[in-house]
Amino acid sequence: MNYQKPSEEMIEELKKIAPGRVLTGEDIGDDYTHDESIFYGKHMPDVVVRVETNEEISEIVKLCYENNVPFVPRGAGTGLSAGCVAEAGGVIIDMTKMNKILGYDPDNFVVRVQSGITVQELCDDCEKHGFAYMGEPGEMMATIGGNISTNAGGMKAVKYGTTRDQVLAMTVITPKGDIMEFGREVNKNCSGYNFMHLMIGSEGTLGIITEVSLKLYVKPKFSVSLLAPFASLDDCISCVPKLKLAGFEPESLEFMLRDNVDMIQNFLGKKIYPTVIEGVEAEAYLLVTFTDSTQENLDTILEQSAEVFTDNEALDVMVYDTPDAIRNVWSVRKNCLEAIMAEYKMTDEVDIVVPIPKIPELINSAVAMKDEVGCDIRCTGHAGDGNVHINLCANEMPEDEFREKVKIFMDKVYKVGFELGGLVSGEHGIGSAKVDYLRENLGEHQLCLMKDVKRAFDPKLLLNPGKVCYTL
Amino acid sequence: MKILVLIKQVPDDVVKVSLSDEKTPDIKNIEKIVNAMDTYAMEMAVREMEANGGEVVVASIGDKDEIRPSLVQEIAVGANRAYIGNLDVSGADEAALSAELLSFIRKIEEQEGSAFDLILTGKESTDEISSQVGALLAEKLSVPFVSSAIGFTKTDAALIVKKETEEGYDVLETTLPAVLSVTKPEYDPRYPSLKNKMKARKAEIPVIELEKAENKVTLTGYDEPAKREAGVKIKEKEAQDAVQKAMAILKEARLV
Repeated sequence: MNYQKPSEEMIEELKKIAPGRVLTGEDIGDDYTHDESIFYGKHMPDVVVRVETNEEISEIVKLCYENNVPFVPRGAGTGLSAGCVAEAGGVIIDMTKMNKILGYDPDNFVVRVQSGITVQELCDDCEKHGFAYMGEPGEMMATIGGNISTNAGGMKAVKYGTTRDQVLAMTVITPKGDIMEFGREVNKNCSGYNFMHLMIGSEGTLGIITEVSLKLYVKPKFSVSLLAPFASLDDCISCVPKLKLAGFEPESLEFMLRDNVDMIQNFLGKKIYPTVIEGVEAEAYLLVTFTDSTQENLDTILEQSAEVFTDNEALDVMVYDTPDAIRNVWSVRKNCLEAIMAEYKMTDEVDIVVPIPKIPELINSAVAMKDEVGCDIRCTGHAGDGNVHINLCANEMPEDEFREKVKIFMDKVYKVGFELGGLVSGEHGIGSAKVDYLRENLGEHQLCLMKDVKRAFDPKLLLNPGKVCYTL
Repeated sequence: MKILVLIKQVPDDVVKVSLSDEKTPDIKNIEKIVNAMDTYAMEMAVREMEANGGEVVVASIGDKDEIRPSLVQEIAVGANRAYIGNLDVSGADEAALSAELLSFIRKIEEQEGSAFDLILTGKESTDEISSQVGALLAEKLSVPFVSSAIGFTKTDAALIVKKETEEGYDVLETTLPAVLSVTKPEYDPRYPSLKNKMKARKAEIPVIELEKAENKVTLTGYDEPAKREAGVKIKEKEAQDAVQKAMAILKEARLV
């Protein structure tokens, strides 16, 4: 594509559209050049516009389209696949000033927000209004727009679904600058092709999501977390379908491996998980949260689910039922990535989703490559939905060599994952980082179909170039 | 040894507390947890019992229905039994609390039929942070007191206590009975297994009625800390320029 740089005249036009909110040259901070996966390189945009209204975005997009200048919407930059990075330069449309709550419809259990609001801000506000937003991923500083763009999952997805399941309607600025409303604040929809769901998970390549209507829930009054240590990963994962077959619907259901737990507890400076139970070393853990509207119901769930655990090789079942205890037991799971970043100079992550019973096979294949790649391998993930995160980590290794090892490792792990019936990304997205694996996973034919869809929305391929199905 | 661990229920300390319209801390909707330092004291007592035998009793004063869950929690992590001192302690100062605790302990000992060898408290509570109750209680019991204990060992005639200091720790020797206030040791408190939790829920916890003691200190009112003013952003990119700018600001404020 023949992408143009924004001219001086165009920048002056942008300044008229968004006075005082246009950054150029040295005023553009380094943060705008990458997301949290710095491993995939930095790209400096030519201009950043901190937008405040739909109309502004529409005008900016039209201007970019006239001038063949690429443009990229950006939220908080917490992504892990370089989805919000301006690979071809051009204009970054910074959505973080569009962070208002537009209103609640309590009888319809809906909140309308601008897409630049962070998940934390949204959850806090919902709580003040007596509701809960259940689409929260692990990263609370991400924006809702970013979450929708990657169809973020997180730890409650096992009960409440991914971000896709939380969205009812949205305002979108198309790549040509039209302001459109996709979906409605209703709970059923079979009204033609569903553009809203096409937008969700499209990583900002089909349109710019500016406002969204989200589903609300009544916050469960009572909550308890259980931790079940197991002597092996096979025992641990085998327990997951047993729990579901017994009729339990946990809010979260995560697995952790012992070496990871040891590293994270060391990072946190406290020991929360038991590691030896009556002389047996724990090698894997299931961490589960149940919620209910009454303590009596929760007690029944607690007792009966614990029986399922112990009948299925759990070495013990620990209870965490006070706010500080629940925080502590979850802090180990939630600090996984932070602990890896603190422990290692270099890391890259496989975010893959496989059928739940295939989790051990995938992880065993990955861990078996430890000697071949000469790096540490850290695995954790969402046992309830088969989404596994496998980090390759190294300290004393030249970066070029590490990149080679990552390629060897990922090629193999994704190949195994695809053979097991998996998909390339559970929740992090494709961005520019995983396009080749997406092609391998879905085939050239499907990628061509995706490109046709992209061209239908964006004939000049100016919106977020080099992502999902196109490479630069 | 027969050890008594005194615990206090406090508002969950990660929740920000603000003042209500009546200018008192608005804590009624904040969940109550066991004071963190008290959980260390409990773990220390249970470890001693596991290593050398003896008994651990846990007790707390407050509304009998409100504090029961915290005592159940402590039974689930190893206490042999618990006692509730039923009394509204809101507004009580440290002198009143220690007097009420004295009377509570005497009544527990009466029911137990024997005295405690060692009484443990947390070094401080996360709500009041006065660090006085343990010391005042020891005074009223006329027994020795060691603050900031991070461990202890019983010998034939005495108790050897590790007391945390700025530099490390002191090793002190005291006679028994004694009161120790406990701060964070090298280990973390354990969490209950489901089996112990369920068993603890069924525990019978005797309720002892207590009378209010007199305050020595009058609380005149609460005030919120002053809001911090916005800082100065140093935008200079080069380290040398940034330092010069910082020094200029400090000189202007007459801080250097």
